[in-house]
Amino acid sequence: MWRLLATLFALALAASACGSSDSSDDSSASGSSSDAEETEVTLAANGESLLDTVKSRGTLNCGVSGSAVAFSELQADGSMAGFDADYCRVVAAAILGDANKVNFVSLTAAERFTAVQTGDVDLLMRNTTWTQSRDSEVGMDFGPTTYYDGQQLMGRESDGFSGSSQVSDVGGSVICTSAGTTTEKNIADAAAEAGVSIELQTFEDFDTVTNNFISGACDIITTDGSALVGRKAKQQPDGENWVIFPATPISKEPLGPTYGQNDSAFADAVNWAVYATIIADEKGLDSSNVDMMLSSGDTETIRLLGGEGELQSGMGLPADAFYQVISQVGNYDEIYSRNLNPVGLSREGSANAAWTAGGLVYAPPAR
Amino acid sequence: MQDANQGSVDPEFQQGIEDRESSPHEIPSLPVGQWLRQNLFSSWVNSVLTLFGGFLAFFALRGVLNFVFSENRQWDAVRTNLRALMTLSYPESQYIRVWVSLGFVAGLAGLSAGLWANWGGVSVKRVSTWLMGTGGLLAVCVIVREPSVILGSDGKVVRTLEGSLQRESFLDAMVNRSSWWIAAVVLLVAGIVLWRRFASATHRGSELPVTSVVFLGLGLAVLSLWIAPYGHYAFISETKSYVAESGRTVAFSTKLPWTVMLALLCSFFGLGRLLQRSEYGGLIKGASNLLWLVSPLTLFWVVLRDPALDYGHVISTDLPMGLAFGALGGAVLWSLTRTGVGEAGRLVATMLLGFAIFNWVAAFFGWYPMLQKARISFLLLAFAALLAPNFMGEIAKRRQLVLGWLGVTALVHYLATMINTPSTVEVQSSEFLGGLGLTLFVALIVVLLSFPLGVLLALGRTSKFPIFRMLSTSYIEVIRGVPLISVLIFFSVMVPLFLPDGMELAELAAVLTGYTLFSAAYLAENVRGGLQSITKGQYEAADAIGLTAAQRTSFIVLPQALTVSIPQLVGQVISTFKETSLLAIIGLFDFLRVANSVIPAQSEFLGVKREGILLVAIIYFFFNFTISKYSQRLERRVGLGER
Repeated sequence: MWRLLATLFALALAASACGSSDSSDDSSASGSSSDAEETEVTLAANGESLLDTVKSRGTLNCGVSGSAVAFSELQADGSMAGFDADYCRVVAAAILGDANKVNFVSLTAAERFTAVQTGDVDLLMRNTTWTQSRDSEVGMDFGPTTYYDGQQLMGRESDGFSGSSQVSDVGGSVICTSAGTTTEKNIADAAAEAGVSIELQTFEDFDTVTNNFISGACDIITTDGSALVGRKAKQQPDGENWVIFPATPISKEPLGPTYGQNDSAFADAVNWAVYATIIADEKGLDSSNVDMMLSSGDTETIRLLGGEGELQSGMGLPADAFYQVISQVGNYDEIYSRNLNPVGLSREGSANAAWTAGGLVYAPPAR
Repeated sequence: MQDANQGSVDPEFQQGIEDRESSPHEIPSLPVGQWLRQNLFSSWVNSVLTLFGGFLAFFALRGVLNFVFSENRQWDAVRTNLRALMTLSYPESQYIRVWVSLGFVAGLAGLSAGLWANWGGVSVKRVSTWLMGTGGLLAVCVIVREPSVILGSDGKVVRTLEGSLQRESFLDAMVNRSSWWIAAVVLLVAGIVLWRRFASATHRGSELPVTSVVFLGLGLAVLSLWIAPYGHYAFISETKSYVAESGRTVAFSTKLPWTVMLALLCSFFGLGRLLQRSEYGGLIKGASNLLWLVSPLTLFWVVLRDPALDYGHVISTDLPMGLAFGALGGAVLWSLTRTGVGEAGRLVATMLLGFAIFNWVAAFFGWYPMLQKARISFLLLAFAALLAPNFMGEIAKRRQLVLGWLGVTALVHYLATMINTPSTVEVQSSEFLGGLGLTLFVALIVVLLSFPLGVLLALGRTSKFPIFRMLSTSYIEVIRGVPLISVLIFFSVMVPLFLPDGMELAELAAVLTGYTLFSAAYLAENVRGGLQSITKGQYEAADAIGLTAAQRTSFIVLPQALTVSIPQLVGQVISTFKETSLLAIIGLFDFLRVANSVIPAQSEFLGVKREGILLVAIIYFFFNFTISKYSQRLERRVGLGER
């Protein structure tokens, strides 16, 4: 009996001894996301920034859609590509010095904000519209807008629509969109305001919507302009001409980085990484000439790239953070052309042109 | 009568089985006209039904063919995304691991097929009918398909002035499909030759071995990889560009591994045949059974292993800990089963249980940090100690308990070390395993793990002890009262929130746990159905010859009950396999989701969805049909439904 108890006691001691040495070991050794979550929660409690967490973890957890054409799409080899995916890489290059240190997490629209709140992702680059309620009630903070989108409609030229058509011209049409999104409400509001009656039909996803448009079950389809342009470029049958209208979208959809609120250091890092790509575009700085400009650029360029008088170290980033961004990922124009030109979206004349060219893309000065 | 068959199979019964196997459905062949009159046009109702059915079949076939060969189909989307459909993000540099594990399975399958080479034969008549049927169907397909649309020199469709599509003439279409015609004619001729030579009255009942037919088919399929111009389609990761070259054979990295797989299958089959005749046949059969049991664990090791797995940690902590639990736990159990321990044993077991439960409670408050493995092991040890009085006395029984404990410890520690290891393979997205690989992996593991659990639950529910009955019944009813989706969401979202600090559960492990628990509840009910078919006489007879409860269950009751429930169990396997598509809900990329939402979102293949889904449907059908066929064979072999 006593011998038994003694054995048991020894067993318990041995197990707990190796157990305790072990658990500390585990948390430092493994780099999985849920592990990071706990670290993040405790750090937040101590008032430390997500910026330090990301640096110590060595990877950036970036929430993307994974099925948003040209913004974040899973490639045939399982890698993530697109405009949003590249902006995740921009942030990773700025904070960690390596654009490939991104762990992409595919999120549905429903779970995206929870994922930020629970710390599953550090940052959302998931074509998320900046709205007042999300900024205040939902507890998100928004970075600089990377893409100005807006809801538009698409119809057939043969039905009498043209680029200059207005919402008031669509009376009596069958209008289709995907279910459960704000696009549904926007078009209903716009039609009511224009005083026309429409028949609104919703489908599970936009692939189905487009197929119904092609088959003729829908007269008009509506969603964000960027998606419509992509559909027109890829799916318009020959012999038909699809037109997108009205020229001024019926809603404003500024898309950009989103992160948890009240973390100034992390917010600054993300925002200035985005601004750096815009300033580089203004200065004609791109991935091909960045090494040359490091010595021959103007004072602001050299400061931005980490030369004399640089400001990055003060905000917790490496001095050459933006040099890494430009050389590894590129400036705004490069990112835009690489991802969005192939689906037929061009910068000229759109809201996404540089402010010097009549667009809205603008960054505060780096000084 | 059944009792007699349990022990030694009587020759007459054996003969009966062989008869059934060797000559399935011996239908005297009638002249075609007479057969048609008797079977399809026997009355006017039948004639109407036949014509109606024929029209339906014709339009269905025509519809499918026109869909598949339509000029609107973009099959390139599926071809270039094959890798994504199969494994999604699994890194190409680590593909060798997938092939190694597939090779392991191929070799083992070949070995087993060779060892149990009672595959019997398939009558030449059936082979030739099958060949002729396929050839005929192919010929019908070629005729029924709509003539193709004419493509201009720029590769675009040509339209007439009215804007309708211009199609080639029927004759042109037939000429252009000459390669299809040749294939159809070759099949037909081969079938007819076989029929003439071997199915005549003199050769009645002549057979080909099933295995050689299968190997011939597989060999031809692999050979076609080397010579048939399937085309070379790929996505080049470095340049982010798509390669689509028709008229070439498939890539070297595809044909070589499959050839090796076939070679492994064949050579191990031969080895199995040789070993079967050797004196160690029985021993090797046992070993191969054991290998099958171990192989899923090996696949864990090979496919999912973290390449940067810290062997230092394994050697310094995991291994000693497993050994310590095995040895010390074994010692505790050994001494607990001594005769004369008496009440002290119960006291110790209860204390152990208390200690184990305290550890779990403590974990939630973070008082007493230790590895999860230790907590689980303590709990298991407590249960084993509670069982100890049943194994008291003889050395052999005591040894059983200790060996059982060692086995369970080894298994639990192995799984806890391997499954719950976060993978650090360098992948660009979080979806490490996806596509068909994920689907098959989850289905396989869930079926394997839920089977023993389900049997235990069924036995518990039919047990005489109220506590077992109550626990099993409430478990089964609770789980069956909840949809699978909510179980999956519970395990992937809620359970991680309940876990104390420092404890984590990999997403895949969470899914496997939840799905296994769910599947086991349904399986238990299927097995219980089988248990209820066992008559009371069986139990009484077993008791009368002095079998213990355990012997009665494992030698008399379960074999009969499981045999009876084969159809339901196979149904369960099939539905488990198909329901893996629900993994998409909790964010995993099973291969239906890849076809349904990943491919249509690539800007190269925007909105191209139907092609992928058709392929997914075909693959699901292939697997499920194979399982179903195999189960029919199994049912015939055990004589189910014929007694």
